[in-house]
Amino acid sequence: MSQSYNRGLIEDFGRWREFSAGMWAWVFHKFTGWVLVGYLFTHIAVLSTAIPASQGDAAAGADVYTTTIVALESLLVVRILEVGLLAVAVFHILNGLRLLLVDLGIGLESQDKSFYASLILTGAITVASVPTFLAGVF
Amino acid sequence: MAEHYSSFTKGGRLWLWQRITAAFLVVVLAFHFFLLHFVHHADEVTLAMSQSRMETLSYYSLMILFLVTATFHGVNGVYNALVNQGLTGTKRQAVKWTLVAASVVLLVQGVRTANAWAGYTTFF
Repeated sequence: MSQSYNRGLIEDFGRWREFSAGMWAWVFHKFTGWVLVGYLFTHIAVLSTAIPASQGDAAAGADVYTTTIVALESLLVVRILEVGLLAVAVFHILNGLRLLLVDLGIGLESQDKSFYASLILTGAITVASVPTFLAGVF
Repeated sequence: MAEHYSSFTKGGRLWLWQRITAAFLVVVLAFHFFLLHFVHHADEVTLAMSQSRMETLSYYSLMILFLVTATFHGVNGVYNALVNQGLTGTKRQAVKWTLVAASVVLLVQGVRTANAWAGYTTFF
């Protein structure tokens, strides 16, 4: 016989103290997803400077696309935001792989461990990439 | 029998497409980051370098597919998140069509940009 179960609004963030590892994985996945989709729109907007740049006869290196990217990359805050973007993307990728495996029924018993592994690996990759992302800004 | 708790529509194809695009994006997003931050560095970007990459048909095709899948995955993800938060009725419809319109704008602008790099004529 089926038993009814009122789960409440599971997306109620006011219950964060009760969250398990799986719930934190869900929250982080949503947060990183929002950041990535927001960045996608910003990214295309910045890259759109290639449209007028391609139409002009500006000398190489002096077009609006190149100067926009170079100017942004000269700012320390942009480099730091890029490291943050990498962290967000890496976590979303690793946790996304974990979710795909869970959807396929693989590793259901160790999904909390795979979440912690995603976090640790994200931290390690992010820290290791800091020198690359900050190169040339100082 | 267990109850159906999911807020996704039963039998919906969007659920499957969210997973298919995820599997594709895992690989291509990692490639994109690796190529444009570790092989090439972002501060060394020039219009000529971007143009030379995009003039290669395989790279251009991959980036167009990347744009389409990322737009679908991102916008559908936002829609799912809002539905999970309890969005229903007229508000749900309004959000849905706003997101569809935003996606179209993003896709058009993305294709225009890619075409500008590749040297293709854009008719919009």
